[in-house]
Amino acid sequence: MTEKKLKIALAGNANVGKSVIFNQLTGLHQHIGNWPGKTVEKAEGTLHFKGYTVDIIDLPGIYSLSTFSLEEIVSREYIVDEKPDLVINVVDASALERNLFFTLQLLELETPLIIALNQIDMAEKKGIKIDLKRLEEKLGVSVVPTIAIKGKGIYELLEKAVEVIEKGAAKPSVISYGEEIEERIRRLTEALGKIRLKYPARWTVIKLLEGDEQVKKEIYDLSPEILQTAENLAREIEEIHGHPCPTVVVSERYEVAGKIAREVQRILPRIKPQLGERLHEVTTHRVLGYPIMILIVLGIFNVIFVFGGYMSEFLNGLLYGYEPLFEQLFGLNPLKEIIWGGIIEGVIANITIALPYIIPFYLILYILEDSGYLARAAFLTDTLMHKMGLHGKAFIPLMLGYGCNVPACLGCRIMETERERLLTGFVVTLIPCAARTIVILGLVGSFLGFYWALTLYVIDLIIVFLLGELAFKVLPGEPTALIMEMPDYRLPHFKTVIKQTWFRLEEFLKISFPLIIVSGLIIKLAEIFNLLEPISRFLNPVTVTWLGLPEITGVTLIFGILRKELTLVILATLLGTTNFQEVLTPLQIFVFTLVVMLYVPCVATIAACSKEFGRKKAAMISLLEIILAISVGGLAYRILATLNLLEH
Amino acid sequence: MLTLEVVEMELPLTALREGESGVITSIRAGFGWGKGGGYGLQKRLMDMGLTPGTKITVVKSAPFHGPIEINVRGYRLAIGRGMAEKILVEVQK
Repeated sequence: MTEKKLKIALAGNANVGKSVIFNQLTGLHQHIGNWPGKTVEKAEGTLHFKGYTVDIIDLPGIYSLSTFSLEEIVSREYIVDEKPDLVINVVDASALERNLFFTLQLLELETPLIIALNQIDMAEKKGIKIDLKRLEEKLGVSVVPTIAIKGKGIYELLEKAVEVIEKGAAKPSVISYGEEIEERIRRLTEALGKIRLKYPARWTVIKLLEGDEQVKKEIYDLSPEILQTAENLAREIEEIHGHPCPTVVVSERYEVAGKIAREVQRILPRIKPQLGERLHEVTTHRVLGYPIMILIVLGIFNVIFVFGGYMSEFLNGLLYGYEPLFEQLFGLNPLKEIIWGGIIEGVIANITIALPYIIPFYLILYILEDSGYLARAAFLTDTLMHKMGLHGKAFIPLMLGYGCNVPACLGCRIMETERERLLTGFVVTLIPCAARTIVILGLVGSFLGFYWALTLYVIDLIIVFLLGELAFKVLPGEPTALIMEMPDYRLPHFKTVIKQTWFRLEEFLKISFPLIIVSGLIIKLAEIFNLLEPISRFLNPVTVTWLGLPEITGVTLIFGILRKELTLVILATLLGTTNFQEVLTPLQIFVFTLVVMLYVPCVATIAACSKEFGRKKAAMISLLEIILAISVGGLAYRILATLNLLEH
Repeated sequence: MLTLEVVEMELPLTALREGESGVITSIRAGFGWGKGGGYGLQKRLMDMGLTPGTKITVVKSAPFHGPIEINVRGYRLAIGRGMAEKILVEVQK
């Protein structure tokens, strides 16, 4: 017997515990993809329950079903086009009014609905008690209380969901606006006549009055007269209220949400501030906030570099320990060279970067995000980010960049507009990732000392800000301001953190793994066919004349595009030593590392960029960064040589 | 006994000190019915609950011309200063 299939979507505001519920429901059977043709994350999972195969889809966390962001468009299109059997609206009990504003929009979309009233424990701590029965009556939909983080109410939620699907959802309440609006809704519905978009008629009409760009366009294509009628009616409402019609509609909807919230909840005054409140106070404090943030960031880097360095070395030793065994099996011949040097070394490189650096970095970062700290960091760094035309939220992909540029590029999606995504993406690719850090520490750190390595990071930050500002001025469009909810602090949900880390790692592996293998093969073949020297000779004017480096570095720079940390390995191979002091002057070590740090991140990042921003823009970014690296490298060479700061 | 004295004066949100409250009167972004420009941001602010007539309280104002943290409809919202300057409020003392 084949199981019957059900499709359930999770929808709700950001930070309401939606992904925790998703994880509790689907366990391990989930995957993350993109919406067709759009770079908005789509998490899907399946579960089996009472003879059903249930597909669960986690819609992005949004505050409205308008068209402000891609997330909102994607969510409403999913609900309208895919017609899930049920939508579970996850509602944060501790911010009922704002959450209900979204619920009301789902009701207007006339989709079968139940509510998971989540975080009731946190609401209670805030002194909020909600009358579930009344809420059910008011909305006309079932409400299931949950504490997702503890797994409470999840089974009941699923049970209720299936029950509602089997019995058919009760008719939900229709929210009514003021009479002067309702009258115009009636008139516009009449004007609409038999014309139907894929949305319910009432919803279409309300959205027209709300000035929804997409609905307006769709109606215009069918009947420009109706749009004209809508504009006239909207102007009438505007005259009555003295506010633009969209403002009036949204205000009234919030009015309804507020009224329901007030009727169903009781707020008791709290005796003392919660721990979370005090943490919030301290971490956003105008004086204390900054040193705390710097300490946290430095703490992360310290842990990563110490732990990562140790682990990386350990793994390297362990994995390369198999080389003699491999030689015994295959013998010393070109085939062994290709398989070991081309493929296995690529695998080892992936493992020694991913395991020791990327995993712990993202683990810590997601713990910080899940607990709510990153929102505070965004709050504190907003001014700084404005210096490069971005706002506080960009701090998050920038931090991701220090781990690996690939997930950081994909992480630019949290920025609202296309322009900001591109700007953030550009800046992110200039951030030294774990692989570049290996080169910086391995060359400058080991041979010139800690302060010279730090100097490189500072130079990088200066360049990031200068270029960010420049790009901000050059790119057309308006900057967007920070509008961000600051959720209450909470204990991170470990399983969700692990999942998120795993998804980032998966993205990194999917994009970089095949590229690393292929690039390893290319390098080996180039070596076997003696192509390395001609390439270096060709680059002589740049490397020797302009940058003052030995000719042989040319080839390392070319292959560094494939994998940045490879520059170190190839350099050692070509120079025949890992004691670089013997063959390079301190000045050369510095200039070489500077160039490696700045020029195009790596082939995997270029791939991620072109996935997010298109090929043309990815090529532009790459070219720009090559020019930048060569210019800055040459300048640094001349300035440092003149000042005689480093031996040359 | 608490008395509410409403001062009839429109001020940008940025003029409020920490702990002060006001009622939103309007948002002064380039707003036309469905026209581009500031429409998206203003819609966003309204979707987050900042509609005319809503009471908001300034919780914190970040230094260095940073964002403003407000309490609106029972939750915390951070708004960039540039945007906050465009939100007009009637101050309640």
